[in-house]
Amino acid sequence: MNMEQAFQTFLAESTELLQDMENKLLGFDNCDDPAESVNSIFRAVHTIKGSAGLFGLDDIVAFTHVVESVLDEVRSGSFVLDEPLINLLLQCKDYIGKMVDSIDGEAVLMAPEDLPVQAALEDALFAYLNTEHSTSAATALVGIDDADNYQSVSVIESDSAMANENWHISVYFGADVLRNGMDPLSFLRYLATLGDIVHIETVTDDLPGIEDMDAESCYLGYEINFHSSASKSQIEDVFEFVREDCQLKILPPYAKVSDFIEIIDNIQNDELKLGEILVRCGTLTQRELDNLLQMQNAVKEGGTHRLIGEIVVEDGLASSEVVTAALHRQAQGKKAKEKQAQTVRVDAEKLDHLINLIGELVIASAGIESETHLAGIASLVESAQTMTRLVEEVRESALNLRMVQIGETFNRFQRVVRDVSKELGKDIDLQIDGADTELDKTVIEKISDPLMHLVRNSIDHGIESPALRSQRNKPATGNVKLNAYHESGTIVIEVSDDGGGLNREKILQKARANGLVSAEAELSAHDINQLIFEAGFSTAEAVSNISGRGVGMDVVRRNIEALRGTVEIDSEYTVGTTIRIRLPLTLAIIDGFMMKVGDAFYVVPLDIVEECIELNANHSVGHDGRSYINLRGEVLPFIRLGDYFCQSGSNAKRENIVVIKYGSLKAGFVVDELMGEFQTVIKPLGPLFERVPGISGSTILGSGEVALILDASSLIHLVMQRDGKAISAAAQQSALH
Amino acid sequence: MAKTIMIVDDSASLRQVVSIALIGAGYDVIEGCDGKDALSKLQGQKISLIVSDVNMPNMDGITMVQEIKKLPAYKFTPIIMLTTESADDKKAAGQAAGAKAWMVKPFKPEQLLMAVSKLVQP
Repeated sequence: MNMEQAFQTFLAESTELLQDMENKLLGFDNCDDPAESVNSIFRAVHTIKGSAGLFGLDDIVAFTHVVESVLDEVRSGSFVLDEPLINLLLQCKDYIGKMVDSIDGEAVLMAPEDLPVQAALEDALFAYLNTEHSTSAATALVGIDDADNYQSVSVIESDSAMANENWHISVYFGADVLRNGMDPLSFLRYLATLGDIVHIETVTDDLPGIEDMDAESCYLGYEINFHSSASKSQIEDVFEFVREDCQLKILPPYAKVSDFIEIIDNIQNDELKLGEILVRCGTLTQRELDNLLQMQNAVKEGGTHRLIGEIVVEDGLASSEVVTAALHRQAQGKKAKEKQAQTVRVDAEKLDHLINLIGELVIASAGIESETHLAGIASLVESAQTMTRLVEEVRESALNLRMVQIGETFNRFQRVVRDVSKELGKDIDLQIDGADTELDKTVIEKISDPLMHLVRNSIDHGIESPALRSQRNKPATGNVKLNAYHESGTIVIEVSDDGGGLNREKILQKARANGLVSAEAELSAHDINQLIFEAGFSTAEAVSNISGRGVGMDVVRRNIEALRGTVEIDSEYTVGTTIRIRLPLTLAIIDGFMMKVGDAFYVVPLDIVEECIELNANHSVGHDGRSYINLRGEVLPFIRLGDYFCQSGSNAKRENIVVIKYGSLKAGFVVDELMGEFQTVIKPLGPLFERVPGISGSTILGSGEVALILDASSLIHLVMQRDGKAISAAAQQSALH
Repeated sequence: MAKTIMIVDDSASLRQVVSIALIGAGYDVIEGCDGKDALSKLQGQKISLIVSDVNMPNMDGITMVQEIKKLPAYKFTPIIMLTTESADDKKAAGQAAGAKAWMVKPFKPEQLLMAVSKLVQP
């Protein structure tokens, strides 16, 4: 005999029962014993439901449960089995037959057109029941009900139980246990399969004198010290058959409290109530919760309203720590739920496809626009403009679809900070700001690894040991802060700590020792800080398993640069460090600003363009590809793009400077012509040109020509490096004026 | 010697599945297809646990439990009732008859197995 045979039996049995049900229904009006007829119809459905449950056919169980409930009402005389109900039940019988026929392996695969039929039948059935659509059938339970004699009894001091590593179970069997066919020893044997019974104390206080003793009664209680990794509900389940015949109290080991809190933090479902959260994490068992809810309702009728949390703590079922954590989780869940209601899940691939199409659309519409200008037909130009505007709006909203808040990524670090700081014996708070700042989902995915590295670094190297902190008059609790905000077309993510900061002396020494810097080179504070992003650089004395192997920061930098971003560091020794990551908002389409030098087109992101000014003869100009001007009292270094990209001499009558601001740096690009705003679809350069400095990508113009997208940050840094000294001298000079 | 468990239900497929599970766990199994059938098969056997449906033709589970409790040899034999009735009066009737434990149908074989192993080890 095997399961396959049993399944065949089920199929044959179901067909038989359904046929019987049909016969009984059709012959109901003329039968001799209506009660027995109803009963056997009920039994047919009941049996199918029970067997279907054994085979895990939940769909059949759910549907037959509804039919059965209606039949149960008929059986108890709530309403009569009249013509319309017989017709309905016949339809149900047909449908159950269909379901049984559609069984495919472990599941019922109904044709889609049948589902409305099922819904209609269920609605008709529910009309008889006057109840909500609830299918309690799904909960298969071993039932020992009623809380009448349930009392939580504090048998031992909670302190002594808290102090030890093991569960403490105290169970006092009721007098009737033996008479009910239950053997206390059998439960203890079963308990031993879940773990080790370290110590067991038999309590014989209730044992009467020998002359008063009833041989059929049980007088024993046990205090058990139990070592096990089982959950509370698993342990409680051991005693489920004697649950109402005994007094049972299960106290968790002390270590469990932190586990519970951890579980609560990790619960995914956002719709749980407090009690459900506690059950989920194993603090309460479902049964304890049900009892509590009953108690709560009873008290409510009495006038005073008590909260579940209070009851739980007062009765010593859980520590207030755990309840607080659960309440916190509940509040979070509520918030998240409010948001959920307004979102639709879309396959990321579909979204990417849409963005790609819109990129093509943007290029095509740019082509149409330039053609219409050439054709010079006024009405055509007008309609082309309308279309261009719409395309722009479509592009905006399509890109917005990919924007997600960074908060979710940030929140993941709560756990990291807690775990790592515990491991290191440091006390560290994580502060999160700007969680609602949005950026492209692809960027978020790629940034979380580098971020993780930076956060770990802050905890490990940044925050000092508690002893050192108190020596430096800092609060014992260290502070790590994650912050995000938008700044001129980029998003800035900051990881800062109030820790030890960078020791620039040491970094310089190490860099000289490694040959990264020549001995006589003079570096600014900023340059020294940036050295930590070089490959193979770590000054941490001890290489810990958290960080410090020197493979970190340069990988972080490379990852960020791959996203067309930059990373910089601000640090003051003994005060703290801030690492600032600057990333483009999106990787797909940007608003660009187009410029022309000779025959070549260049594009920079519009957001970083500060202003455009004419380069006139008054400005000191050296035609060696680098120079600077006085811009309203400020030094503005500039670069001639034509020279930089080695284009043959430009013959423009007037030259323009496009002033670019990137972070705190400003520089000018000298170009021949300003072409204005341009929707730029970013195309990668291909492996051959990927490493060309100063260029980050290309784009296709409406005319089919290619324009290069400039990498503003690397160009600015180039200018700064070359002209650094001259500029600082000039800055001093202009300050004197 | 393996302990013997009796399973009483009018559904042959349910009996089969339960038997497969119990035999696999090392118990001996006797099947009864309704209350009357079960009572007739009890005679002369040593049965450690009875698992029975409530709603069956010929003799229902409640009546059967009442009859079983009258037999001196089975006075203290634990009985698990299998029931879909969530109605409390049915449970109370079962309780009054002498069955203290019940499982709500539908259940999975392993759920029954776990319940059984708490009361009787093979």
